[in-house]
Amino acid sequence: MTPTTISERAAERIAVLLARHGEELARHIRRMVRDDDAAQDILQDTLIRAHGALARLPAGANTRAWLYRIATNTSLNHLRSRSRERAALERHAAEREVAAAPEPDAGVTPGETERATLWARVARLPERQRLALTLRIVDELDYEEIATRLGGTAAGARANVYQATRKLRLGVHTR
Amino acid sequence: MITEPIEVERRAVERIVLGAFGELTGRRREPLRYAMMEDTPVGVLGLASGARGLRHLSYVRDEDDFLKRLLDEHGDVPVLRTDTLDDVRRALARYFAGKRLDFDLRVDLSDLPTFQRRVLDATARIPAGRVSTYGEVASRAGSPRASRAAGNALHVNPVAIVVPCHRVLRADGSLGGYGGGVRIKEWLLAHEGARPGVV
Repeated sequence: MTPTTISERAAERIAVLLARHGEELARHIRRMVRDDDAAQDILQDTLIRAHGALARLPAGANTRAWLYRIATNTSLNHLRSRSRERAALERHAAEREVAAAPEPDAGVTPGETERATLWARVARLPERQRLALTLRIVDELDYEEIATRLGGTAAGARANVYQATRKLRLGVHTR
Repeated sequence: MITEPIEVERRAVERIVLGAFGELTGRRREPLRYAMMEDTPVGVLGLASGARGLRHLSYVRDEDDFLKRLLDEHGDVPVLRTDTLDDVRRALARYFAGKRLDFDLRVDLSDLPTFQRRVLDATARIPAGRVSTYGEVASRAGSPRASRAAGNALHVNPVAIVVPCHRVLRADGSLGGYGGGVRIKEWLLAHEGARPGVV
C-alpha cells in the first residue's frame, strides 16, 4: 500500500503534516474504519496523496479541511469492499454491546438486543448518511465540522443526519 | 451511546501516528510533543516536551517556524502537536502574571554537551530578582576562565525563561546578548524586579 522509497525532502514535508494534523486525522480515520492496522495504512496513503497534491493547493486554502477530505475518501475506498465493511461494523456493534452491558455476566437483556438491531440498521444506511450520523451522535460534532471532515456543506451534513434518523425511526432497512 | 474510553483511543491513535512516522519518515525514536503559546508579553513561544521533561521553550515567529526548527534539530524523532502541556502553560501564565516567578518543572537537558549542561544547571539556580555574570556561571560550571564559552552556551539555551539565562549579565553590569533579543531580556529582568546594572 505504501511505497518504500520516499525522497528525504518529501519525508520532511510529510513529517510537517504528520506533526500538525497526524493525531486528529488518525482519530477520524480510525473511527471510520474501526481497525488500527487499516487506519495506519490509510493515514499513510492519505499523507502520500496529500503530499503529491500539496503543490497544487492554492495559497490560503484550508489545509486541514483538505486533508480531512482526502482521509475521508481514502477511508471510504477502503470501506467500499463490502465484506470488510460489514465485518468492521459488526465488530463495532459488538464492542458497543460489551461496553454497554451493565455486568459482564448479566446475560442478554432486551435493551442489548435492541441496541444490536439499531446498530445493524445503522450499518445498512447509505454511506454518507451513516458517517454523518456517527460523527453527529458518537463524536458530537456540529454540522460545520462534519462538513469539514466529509466534504460538502453544513446544510448537506444536516440533511444527511436528518435522513438517517428519519430512516431509523421509520424502520427502513434497505437503501 | 457509549464509545471506548478516551485513554484507550488516545493510545491507539498515538500508535497509529508513530507507526506512520516510522514508515514514511524513518523517525522512530521517542516522540517530542509540542504546543504554542501565542499571546505572551514576550511574543510567541514554542514549547516541546519529551518523556523526561521540557526540552524546548523558544521564541519563535509562528508554529511553522517552531516545527521546522524541531524537525531540523531532531532528525530521527517524531514530533506531535499536543494540547497536554498544561503544566508548562500554567507555570508560564503564573510567571507572566507575576504570581510566581520560579518554576517547578521537569527540564530535560540530557541531550546537550556536558559543559553546556553544567552552565545551564548553574544558571537554573539563580533565583528570580537576582542576577549573575558569565564569569560566575562559568566558575560554577567548573571552568572559571570560560566566561565567553558560557555566554555561547547560554545564547543557545533550549529552555528559555525556565532556565533563566536572562539573569546572566556581563561583568560590568551591562546586559550582554540574548537569544530572544536584548529588549526581551530587559523586560524579563524588570518583570522580576532585578535591576540591570546592579549586580
